[in-house]
Amino acid sequence: MVALDTVVFGTVTVLDLIVFAISVVIIIIVARIIAIYLKRALSDRMERGELDKLVKVVQIVIIIFGIWFALPSFDVDIGQLLVVGGTLGLIIAFASQKIVSNLGSGIFLLIERPVKIGDTIQIGDVEGTVNQIRILSTIVKTYEGIYVRIPNEQVFSSDITNFVANPARRFEYLVSIGYGDDAGKAVRVIRNLLEDHPFVLKNPAPSIFVSELGDSGVQLTIYIWAPSRVWWSVRTELLQKIKEALDREGIEIPFPQRVVTMAGVKNRGTGQGER
Amino acid sequence: MFGESDYSFCYDSEEVSIRIDPSDGFYQYSRKSGDEEIRKVISGGSRKIVVNPVEPVNLPREVTRFLEVHFTPVAIEPDSSETVFITFPVEIGVFLESKGDFDVLDIFTLSRPKYSLYGPPEEGVITRYHESAVSGTIPEVDWLKEGVIALSISNASRNWVEVSRAVFDCSSLFLYYGDCVSLVARMNILSRDIADVRSEDRPLSDGMKPSVLVIKARKTLIPDKIPFMMEFGVGD
Repeated sequence: MVALDTVVFGTVTVLDLIVFAISVVIIIIVARIIAIYLKRALSDRMERGELDKLVKVVQIVIIIFGIWFALPSFDVDIGQLLVVGGTLGLIIAFASQKIVSNLGSGIFLLIERPVKIGDTIQIGDVEGTVNQIRILSTIVKTYEGIYVRIPNEQVFSSDITNFVANPARRFEYLVSIGYGDDAGKAVRVIRNLLEDHPFVLKNPAPSIFVSELGDSGVQLTIYIWAPSRVWWSVRTELLQKIKEALDREGIEIPFPQRVVTMAGVKNRGTGQGER
Repeated sequence: MFGESDYSFCYDSEEVSIRIDPSDGFYQYSRKSGDEEIRKVISGGSRKIVVNPVEPVNLPREVTRFLEVHFTPVAIEPDSSETVFITFPVEIGVFLESKGDFDVLDIFTLSRPKYSLYGPPEEGVITRYHESAVSGTIPEVDWLKEGVIALSISNASRNWVEVSRAVFDCSSLFLYYGDCVSLVARMNILSRDIADVRSEDRPLSDGMKPSVLVIKARKTLIPDKIPFMMEFGVGD
């Protein structure tokens, strides 16, 4: 039987090898446990491919650190290694400053979750739908169908507007009717139309009111709440329906107009100035 | 209308007409209800279809999994229970079946869908909205449009509580059909503002059959059967 203090090579004994092997096994188990935990925690926040990459990076970092700590069992001069490692680290850090910054931002984005895949957002000047959230960058498809890759550092430091973060959102229409039309009737016509639409939310209820007595007509303001996932289609669909409903009821949507009274010209019927 | 059938299935009423006809070596499914007309080509296969009520959150398109029923306020005494009967909207699913595997062929409704928000806009949930009267016995309803919920309300709080709405998570719903479309549910009131609501896997009366649900047919990952926590009040 081989004695534990048998030298294998240099100053490394069998015992050193066993301690090192056990340390590595423990490190691998710890890395796997952390990987499982990460997968569970982030599976609904990241794409599978990206998550796998992140988990691998984390596992490799843990194993490298673990081996580092296990090395003293070989009587390796940690001081020398630190000098070499420190220098290498410095070079790598300078070379990959942006990458590390993007990686850090990506991790913070995953924790904070200001946007999710499928959300309609505005990040800086870019507006569209989030296609992917990667470790280093976020992919946005603009409304025109253009692919835009935004580095996570930029995403993290920009103003983010998420149009669908809340389950419901409000939009408004401004509709003018003629001064000769019945504003109460117009409000009723529009209210009935909104009640019939499935995605105009019952609560919060839509609000319709006379908001301005304008130059050309009476202005109605209509506030509508709709589920965030369908608000745009509701918005594009309803204005036409409102116009058609008002037309059916003979309610005029006036053109800009100005009443001009000519001084000194008499109107035959009323004795007023001619218009 | 509800039940399992072969491709000879045909249903005709004033409001809806469904039929399957042989067409050019295949079969053609057609449904007409109101202004809506749908045609789909289906293969021969096992030639089995199932028509039954499904979770009422699919139309006109799926935006939520929650159903909210608003009803006449019911005052419940502290530490007491009451069973009330309310109604809910029915959506009808047509499924193709083969060896226990279901595929959604069509979903339609004869009731008018309306959606609402339960809770505040920033943290509430979108709900399919339905208004109902309350009765102490099973109400007479048009079972192609409305189903019956037997809602057992328990007030575990120390105060009288007025209940006028219940929110159901349709991903854990159990629907049965027979003489009517039914759902048995339990609401446990914890305080004036908080209650949990769960659907129970049992029919309202003997002889009713369990519905094939869309969530099962689409093989969606079904969440744990946990009750829905109504945190934004049980009254108006």
